[in-house]
Amino acid sequence: MASSAFLTISNLVKRFGEVVAVDHVDLGIEAGEFFVLLGPSGCGKTTLLRCIAGLEHPDEGRIVIGDTTLFSSDDDIVLPPGKRNVDMVFQSYALWPHMNTFENIAFGLKLKKVPHADIKRRVDQVLDDLGMNGLQKRFPFELSGGQQQRVALARLLANQPPVFLMDEPLSNLDARLRLDMRSELKRLHHDAGATTVYVTHDQTEALTMASRVVVMDKGVIQQIAPPDDLYRTPANLFVAEFIGAPRINLLRAEPFSDETGTRLRVKDFNIPAAWLPDRKEVVVGVRPESITLHTDRTGDTVEFSVYAVLPAGPEVFVHVVRGDITLVARTAPGLTLAMDQSVWVGIDASAINYYDVESGELVPPPRA
Amino acid sequence: MPGRKSIASRLGNSAKRQIRSPEFIISITLIIVLSYLVLVPLFNLAWRTFSWAPGDTRISRDAVPGQFTIAHWDRMLFGRVSSKMVWTPLANTMVTGTIAAAAALLLGGTLAWLVVRSDIPGRRIMRTMLTLPYLIPAFAIALAWETMFKSPLAGGRAGLFEMLFGAAPPSWLSYGPVPMIIAMTIHFYPFAFILVSGALSSVDSQLEESAELQGASRWTIMRRITFPMVLPAFLSAMVLTFGRTIGGFAIPYFLGGPVNYWTLSTMLFRNLGMGLDVNGYVIAIILIVLASALVYFNTRVLGGSTRKFEIIGGKGFKASLASLGKWRWPIFAIVSAFIVVACISPIALLGYQSLMLIDGQYGLSNLTLHYWTGPSDPAIAFGSPGLFRSPVVLGGAWNSIRFAVTASFIASLVGLIIGYIVVRRRKSWISKLLNQISFLPYLFPAIAFGAMYLSMFAVRRGPVPALYGTFTLIVLVAVVKHLPYTTRTGASAISQIGQELEEAAILQGSSWLNRMRRIVIPLASSGVVSGMMVTFVGLMRSLALILLLITPSTRVLMTVAYRYAEDNITQLSNALVLFVTVITIVGELVVWRLGRGRISRMREAKH
Repeated sequence: MASSAFLTISNLVKRFGEVVAVDHVDLGIEAGEFFVLLGPSGCGKTTLLRCIAGLEHPDEGRIVIGDTTLFSSDDDIVLPPGKRNVDMVFQSYALWPHMNTFENIAFGLKLKKVPHADIKRRVDQVLDDLGMNGLQKRFPFELSGGQQQRVALARLLANQPPVFLMDEPLSNLDARLRLDMRSELKRLHHDAGATTVYVTHDQTEALTMASRVVVMDKGVIQQIAPPDDLYRTPANLFVAEFIGAPRINLLRAEPFSDETGTRLRVKDFNIPAAWLPDRKEVVVGVRPESITLHTDRTGDTVEFSVYAVLPAGPEVFVHVVRGDITLVARTAPGLTLAMDQSVWVGIDASAINYYDVESGELVPPPRA
Repeated sequence: MPGRKSIASRLGNSAKRQIRSPEFIISITLIIVLSYLVLVPLFNLAWRTFSWAPGDTRISRDAVPGQFTIAHWDRMLFGRVSSKMVWTPLANTMVTGTIAAAAALLLGGTLAWLVVRSDIPGRRIMRTMLTLPYLIPAFAIALAWETMFKSPLAGGRAGLFEMLFGAAPPSWLSYGPVPMIIAMTIHFYPFAFILVSGALSSVDSQLEESAELQGASRWTIMRRITFPMVLPAFLSAMVLTFGRTIGGFAIPYFLGGPVNYWTLSTMLFRNLGMGLDVNGYVIAIILIVLASALVYFNTRVLGGSTRKFEIIGGKGFKASLASLGKWRWPIFAIVSAFIVVACISPIALLGYQSLMLIDGQYGLSNLTLHYWTGPSDPAIAFGSPGLFRSPVVLGGAWNSIRFAVTASFIASLVGLIIGYIVVRRRKSWISKLLNQISFLPYLFPAIAFGAMYLSMFAVRRGPVPALYGTFTLIVLVAVVKHLPYTTRTGASAISQIGQELEEAAILQGSSWLNRMRRIVIPLASSGVVSGMMVTFVGLMRSLALILLLITPSTRVLMTVAYRYAEDNITQLSNALVLFVTVITIVGELVVWRLGRGRISRMREAKH
C-alpha cells in the first residue's frame, strides 16, 4: 500500500470473546477517497469503522490519520473519540430527540468552545447547503426520515472533520429516497473533498458510490479494488458470489483442447475458453450478462431448457437447466420464451474467470 | 523498537484507564454499599440463628454467648414448639397461599379472557375497573372484611352482615383461612388478570387465523392454540402470586390472628413482639428460602417454557371476538356485580364504618364526622380527635410523605444509575454483580427484610451508629427493598435510549458526566419519574416492611392505622386506611397519566 495513504490501518485485531471481529486488517485510504467497507452482516465492517471512531477498543494494531496516531497497541496510545477529529453519521442518525435541529448540530461546537456567533453562522451555513434552512427550531420527531438524515449530515459537516465516517446512513430510508440520497452524498463528498469511510451491506450502494471498495468476510479482507474491477475480476469465490445480482453462475469444469481450440468440459457438454488455466479442474465464474440465449441452434452453443422467465423492466432474467445444472442469463426483453422450451446457450469466453477448486482464489490469466 | 513497552506495563495502563473511569468508580462504590446493606444483614440474620445470644444462658445451660450452635434451629424445627412455631404456620401459609393463588388465577384468567376475547359489553371500561382492587391496600381489604363479617360469635361486636341478615355469620366466615383466602384472592387476582390479558392480547392472531382456515372451531382454537400459548404466562403468574401471598402481613394478621391462625409472616411478627427474636429470625430465613425457591422455580423451570413461546408478542392483532350469545348480558351482570363487590364495596364499607359514632349501631342517628374532623372528646375513642385534627395523624402524614418522597427519589436515582451500568456494560462482571446484588432484596419477603434490618441496625456496628428508631433507617430499608423494581425501571428507561445517541455525543468530545447531564438524564427522566411515582405509591401503603422498625417518632400513616386497629378503635383505623387508599388511587392515576405522556415521548427517542 502506498505510503502516501492519509488514513492507515495496520495489522488491526478486535476480538469479542472468542469471536475475531476484525482479523489482522491492513488498509491505506488516500486523502479524498470515498472508501466503502462492504460485506455481509457480521463481517466486521462496522466494528472496523467503530475502531477508527474510537468507539471500540482494538486488541492489536495501529490506526493513523495524517500524522496523528489514534491507536497503537505497541505504543499504548488510545486517543479518546472526542480527540480524534472524526465524526460519524449513524445508521439511526442518532439525533438527540430532546434537542432541536440547531441544538443537535451545535452540541459538539459548544463543547469545543466555539464562539456563539461562529456556531450560529456555521449551523446556518450547513443547513442552507443542505436545503434545510428554516428548520433550526424543529425537533427530530417533527422531521421526515430524509430530513433527519440531513440533520445528521449537517452535524457532521458543521464539525468539519477531516475524515467522515458513515455507518449505513441510507439503510433506514425508503427505496426512492435512498436513490436520491446516493447522488447527493456523492456530490457532497465531491464538494467537501473530505476522506470518507462508508460502511454498507448493499453492494449496489457500494458499487455506485465508492472510489474503492474493500470486501470483508469474517473479519478478513477479501479484496480491495475499484468497483469496476471488483465486479469484473473478483479475487475469490466469496467476492464473486457476494457481488452482483442475480448471482454469478459457477460451474466446475475441466480444461482441454481439441481441433476447435481451447475448451472447458462441464458434465456432458463443453464451452469455449479464451485460455487454459494450469489446473486439472477449475471453478468457472460466468456473469449472467455473459450468457446469450438463442431459440435455434446456432454456432458454439449448448441446448438447455427454460426453467423460469423473470421479466424486470429493461432486462429479463432467464433461468435455464440442463441435467442438474442451472444457469441464470440476463437478456434484453423481446425474446419470447415458454416454460420448458429448448434454448441454445452461448457463453462469452472472454468474460470468464477461473477459480481454484481448493482455495477458491482467482486463477490469474497468463501475462500476454 | 523504540517506545515499545512491556506487556505488563501495557496491561497496567489499560487497567488504570478503566479504574479512573467514573462508571467504574460508581459501580465499585455501589457494590460495596449494597453489599453492606443487603448481604451483611442477611449474614447477620443467619448468624443470629446459628449462635448463642447473651440472654440465652437462662434457657440453656450449654449456652456460650457468641458461640456457634444449631440449638435454635433444632428447637424450632424439631423441638416441642416446632409444630406451633414453624410447621403449622408453614402449612397454613402453603394452604392459604396456594388456594388463593389458584383462585386468583382462575378468576383473573377468566375475566381476562372475557374482557380481551369475548364480546362482553363495555370491554374497555371493564378492563380498567377490574384492575382497581390492586390499588386497594391489603390492609384495607382486611379491615373491610372485618367490618362486614365480624360477629359476637368470634368474640367481637356485630358486623354489617348481622345487621343486614339479622343473624351472625358463621364464625369460619368471620376469621380464619376462609376469609384470608377470599381477601387474598380479591387482592391478588388483578395481578393475574393483567398478566393473562397481556399475554392473550399479544398472541399473534395469524396463528389462530391459520387454525381457523384449517377448519378448527373457535373452541378448538381456544383449547389447542391459544391456551397452550398463554399457559406459560399463566403458570408464571400463579407462582408469582403465590410468592406474594407468603410475604403478606395485613390480611393474615387481621383475619387469621384473632382466631390464632398464624402464617409464617404473622408468626415471625408475633415472636419479635414477644421478644423471642431468634425464633423470629429463624422464621425469616425460612421465608427467604421459600421465596427464593419460588423465584428459582419460576425462572429456571417455567422460564424455559416461556422462552419457547416467543411467538407471543408478534404484531398487534385484531382477532375476532368469541360470541357469548344469549349469555352476553347475564355474564355482564355477573362481572359487574363482581366489580361492585371487589372494587367498590371495600371502600364503601370503610367509609360507612368510619362515620359510625358507636360501632355496631346501624342507624342514621349514629352517623357522625367525629372520626374525621371532630375535636378530642374523652368519651369517644380514648379522647382521640378526628383524623384531620389529630397531631398523631398529621405527624404521621408528614412522616409518610417525607419518607415516601425521600425513599422513592433515592431509590429511583440509584436504580437509574444501576440500570445504566447494567444496560451499557452488559457483559462486564461488574454489571452482572451489581445486577444480582440489587435483585436480591426481591427474594426477601417484606417482613423478613424488616427483621434483617432490625437485627442489623439495632446496635452500633463500627462506624455505623445504631440506626434503630431513626428516619434514616426506614428510608434505607425502603430504598434497598425497592431497588429490584427501580433498577428494572431504570434499565428499561436506559434501553429506550439508543446507545448511538451517547456515541454521537462521545464523538463530539462529551465527557461521561456531560453525557449523563445533557443526554441520558433528560431522556430517561419521564420513565424514571413514573417509576418513582410507582415506588412512592407503594411506600405510602407499605406496612410489613417498616412495621418492625417504626418507633413513635417515625410513625407513618399506615403504622398509625395499624395501632388504631390493634387498639380496636376501628372507625379511626378504617378512616385512616381509606384515606391512604384514596391517596394511593390518586397517585396511580397520576402514574397512569405520566405513563401515557411517557409513551408518546419515548416514541421520539426511538427512530
